[in-house]
Amino acid sequence: MAKPDSIGQFEQLVLTAILTRRDDAYGVTIHSKVEELASPKTVSLGAIYVTLDRLEDKGLVKSWLSDPTPERGGRAKRCYRLEALGERALEESAVTAKRIWDGIVEVWGKEWVRDMSKEWGKRLGREAG
Amino acid sequence: MHARPPRAVQAIVALFIPFACREEVLGDFQERCTSPTQYCRDAIVTVLLVILSRIRRTANPQLLLMHAFVLYLSFYGAAWFKTPELLYGSWGLMRLAIPGAITLLALVLEDAYAKPGYRSPLRLARGPLLGFAWTLLSQAAFQTAHSSLALPFWIVLYGGALGLLLTSALRMLFSPPSTSPQGPI
Repeated sequence: MAKPDSIGQFEQLVLTAILTRRDDAYGVTIHSKVEELASPKTVSLGAIYVTLDRLEDKGLVKSWLSDPTPERGGRAKRCYRLEALGERALEESAVTAKRIWDGIVEVWGKEWVRDMSKEWGKRLGREAG
Repeated sequence: MHARPPRAVQAIVALFIPFACREEVLGDFQERCTSPTQYCRDAIVTVLLVILSRIRRTANPQLLLMHAFVLYLSFYGAAWFKTPELLYGSWGLMRLAIPGAITLLALVLEDAYAKPGYRSPLRLARGPLLGFAWTLLSQAAFQTAHSSLALPFWIVLYGGALGLLLTSALRMLFSPPSTSPQGPI
């Protein structure tokens, strides 16, 4: 079984966006999902294209052109889906992130988790408001 | 709210986007378009990255190195044959590298903007031909604006012609295969 290359944080965000968008993963939707995941940082559409090209070259995602739609001026979308290698890479990243989280909780304690949850809740509330 | 970008702006933006990803990038721009200003801002911020990504996908570093070597050798050979004293003059060897670098840039851009999957001997020679034309134009510009950087006409002509032949032969021998729908030629 082929082993996936290690992937960076931005690549993880793009892969997660493709995973969550399922059949509707193309430039614009992937960009909006990545912006949501990377909030409050802003992300340029160009960075998404560069990363998608790189992920395709690494064999982590596959792309194809869909049918043209009128709201896009009769132009096609390039849709993306995760390949088995991409799913494995994302799984490994999630496991690593979980280990990091557990390590931090072990040292900084449950109180820190509560404080962080409160802060994130406030931040998300502010963004939603 | 979606707005329709002006046709002229769309046509100009389309010229800069490499053929392989033109369709989807222009479609994405149009879908995101809320005003002509926003469309232009999107295009300015995105297009350069799209071009660089395309160059990364189509450029073959080993092949480029071989091209750089044969191009420099062509102009060096022409200088050695026609005006050997140029080789020992101030910045002589450096001046010989300028036309090669310009031809190399033309080759890289030609590959990035090429139609994927379409291969013919004429298409493979188009990059070197474009490079030769750019070299002649740049030397004419140097002659008028910065004559210390310009090379004598016969060196440009002989070196350019030899470079054209050798780079075309290299491209026919070592053309990168197509690997993905958006991939190299």
